[in-house]
Amino acid sequence: MESGLILKSISFSYSNHWNLDGISFGIQKGEIVGMIGPNGSGKSTLLRIMDGLIRADTGEVLLMNRPISSYRRHEIAKQIAMVPQESIFRFNFSVLEVVLMGRFAHRGLFPFEEKEDLEIARESMLRTGTLDLARRSIHELSGGEKQRVLIARALTQKAQFILLDEPTSQLDIRHKVEIFELILSLVQAQGFGVMVVSHDISLAAQYCNRMLLLNKGRMHRIGSPAEVVTTDTIREVYQCPVLVDKNPITQTPRVTVLAKRTAADIAI
Amino acid sequence: MRGARDQLVTPMRVVSIGIILSVVLVAVAFISLSMGPAEVSMGTILGWCAGMGSVDQTTSMILADIRLPRILLAGLVGFTLSLGGVVFQALLRNPLAEPFILGVSSGAAIGAIGGIVLGLGFSVGVPMLSFISALATILLVIGISSRHGGLESSTLLLTGVIVNAFFTAVIMFFIATASDSRLHSMLFWLYGDLSQSKYIQFSVCLPLVLIVSGVIYFFSRHLNLIVGGEEPALQMGVEVEIVKWIAFIGISLVTGVVVAFSGIIGFVGLIVPHLMRMMLGPDHRLLIPASALGGAIFLVAADTVARMIISPSELPVGVITAFLGAPFFIYLLKKRGSRWNQD
Amino acid sequence: MMEARFRCHFSRRFFFLILIALLCCPLQARAATFLDSMGRRVVLSAVPERIVSLAPSITEIIYFLGLGDKLVGVTRFSYFPEQAKEKEKVGTYTDINLEKVVTLDPDLVIATADGNKREDVEMLEEAGIPVYVVNPRMVGQILETIQAVGDICGITSSARERVGLLRQRVARVEEAVLGRGKPLVLLVINVKPLMSVNRSTTHHDIIELAGGRNLAEDQPITYPRLSLEEIIRRRPEVIIISSMEKGGEHERARREWFRWTAIPAVRNGRVHIISSDLIDRAAPRVIEGLEEMAKLIHPEIPWQ
Repeated sequence: MESGLILKSISFSYSNHWNLDGISFGIQKGEIVGMIGPNGSGKSTLLRIMDGLIRADTGEVLLMNRPISSYRRHEIAKQIAMVPQESIFRFNFSVLEVVLMGRFAHRGLFPFEEKEDLEIARESMLRTGTLDLARRSIHELSGGEKQRVLIARALTQKAQFILLDEPTSQLDIRHKVEIFELILSLVQAQGFGVMVVSHDISLAAQYCNRMLLLNKGRMHRIGSPAEVVTTDTIREVYQCPVLVDKNPITQTPRVTVLAKRTAADIAI
Repeated sequence: MRGARDQLVTPMRVVSIGIILSVVLVAVAFISLSMGPAEVSMGTILGWCAGMGSVDQTTSMILADIRLPRILLAGLVGFTLSLGGVVFQALLRNPLAEPFILGVSSGAAIGAIGGIVLGLGFSVGVPMLSFISALATILLVIGISSRHGGLESSTLLLTGVIVNAFFTAVIMFFIATASDSRLHSMLFWLYGDLSQSKYIQFSVCLPLVLIVSGVIYFFSRHLNLIVGGEEPALQMGVEVEIVKWIAFIGISLVTGVVVAFSGIIGFVGLIVPHLMRMMLGPDHRLLIPASALGGAIFLVAADTVARMIISPSELPVGVITAFLGAPFFIYLLKKRGSRWNQD
Repeated sequence: MMEARFRCHFSRRFFFLILIALLCCPLQARAATFLDSMGRRVVLSAVPERIVSLAPSITEIIYFLGLGDKLVGVTRFSYFPEQAKEKEKVGTYTDINLEKVVTLDPDLVIATADGNKREDVEMLEEAGIPVYVVNPRMVGQILETIQAVGDICGITSSARERVGLLRQRVARVEEAVLGRGKPLVLLVINVKPLMSVNRSTTHHDIIELAGGRNLAEDQPITYPRLSLEEIIRRRPEVIIISSMEKGGEHERARREWFRWTAIPAVRNGRVHIISSDLIDRAAPRVIEGLEEMAKLIHPEIPWQ
């Protein structure tokens, strides 16, 4: 348990809103944890608390056994990388320049990139299939291409923990799978610890070691995908008619959302 | 203008662009030195600089005591305003930002106009009051905008706009009640007046400008990241709040100092960074020195026009920068619509 | 008997006619029409007793003519003479408070074309108040204006005397400088930016009468901003800085010139200050300004 990213009794309140309350869990290196939950259940906020961007009201976040508040930003950056849902670039940096930004924490006083940085960037772009976009302006990219570039940028940080906020929301099914494959390979080959927030429950369930279901700021269920993703839990939390069964090929939970009419027919 | 980017910014590129711009600056300075009501040929100037050839005393005095200090100050002011423009556009992630946006302009103006009304001298009294007033305004704006030790960019912007608006009303009051003799001085100051510049003004401003420039350049990588969002920048390791505090205060300070001597000269901090970004890209490691030098070139040129165009009478230099700046902006808007992203 | 009654009626009618004619006569005799400097007809039904002045220069003229007691309203910057400070204020000369003027119930308002707004004059006329507009530029015109004001206030002969004295002083100056060289004079009316005056101004006329040549006379702009370089190039022999007494700023400005030793005026120590009140206003003190100026431009003359 020492080398993880651990949350203990985290609570955080927005004004006028429900609160994040009683959040306690951890991510270890070498595992993928999927965080699911309805819109507005606090997933993004929780990610930001995990990265030290937001300070929780109570509880603590421990990184390598030290409270995250005791770290300087560039130290955190070397340990935790985050891929936001989207990024707005007001000025037209090239893809390569954007990817190289991830090296910021590793640069010392000398403000220019060195060979090593370029190599690492190249590798990251190769893995995310964005190498041929290198010279393009970030504005020209489609949503999906941009997401892959942001992932490449996070990879150059060479962090041990990667937090991804809905990294597949804009991707087609082929690229969705590719991203999850990439995450899997990173975890298996390099021992990263990953937390993925996703709405693709079925897909995430195929890749995640554990899943966390968040509802109205509380941990509704945490455990293996089979434990967390059930008809009852999903229906209760997402408040819509679903059928959860076991995918015959992958043996992982499969979520089918039902049209209201169908649901009424089979009286769900 | 740029669909694809050809190369990353390397030290080599920064140095070479820096040298090119410096050469252009020196050339423009020389040309400016040769222009004025009293005709002085380029040959004479070169000879004068080299200390050779016989240059009569009057010409020598005109060059050394009237034209040269003015060119130096124009260069320094242009340098500073442009630097401020780049930094504020990055920090506020707003291509329309200028160093005056936090209230430095109206704050300095109130001090200067107050000094003029009180009958203080233009060498010491008015600049001093102008600077103190600018400083107080900056502190006021930052004080209002800072929460829990953090500076929220949108709050800063709004506060600056409101302060500017309020102070402008006060300035209007002064102007409306000014006696004729004061009015001209006020108006000229409000549009930028580099006439009667002195070396001492240049030497007072120079060290501060160099220090702040150095510090800002150190943060150029940080600015690159902040431009993509404060949160992503934090995630990647930038101590965003520290950068913001240092940059906002440093730039406002140094802008307040130069503006105390030159008056309010608009558009420099707006146009030059835009132009440079269009030509050289948004990487601040190159953009900052390029904009600063570009600003110096621009203002030396504009000031030369200001003093030549209705010679032997002179126009305030802010009029020239506005005449050049406004059409440029209209052109930009037409070409790019309101998609500032596509710089 | 019939004839006697007839004669009685006739003479009664005749008597009333004469009476009415006599009564009407004085009224007609007192009403006078004047033509002001803008060609407007100004009708005064009697000698004015309540006068409002819409410019400091006009205030000075009124006091000069000894009509200070009849002044009921002045503008803000009417500081001369001292007594003027106590009069009711009607605003500044570019921004008259028309209501205030009307409340003072004047029977004559004197305005100047150089400063007062035409709309203000028109509004006052519509309110039934006679407005006399003056527009003196050159020194000669100022003297004529003083005379004209004396005329409309019914003191023609006393005005003529006073104006006559002023004319004598002008003549004395003209005589003294006649035949002498005309030094090149730079008149500085603003320090930063450096501003002078062209030939359409009162100041220019004063310089000419005082025996000098105005450096900026040919400039197209009335108050041109000159570059220092141009001044050095033209080499004025006398520099006169027009100053308001506030602060030592103009003494400072005077010393600022000492750097430019290429200018003859500086080399020969001929950089002077003159009070702007003496030359800025189209008022009697302009003659004093003329005498001051002449002394500065021609110090070699043994002035009394």
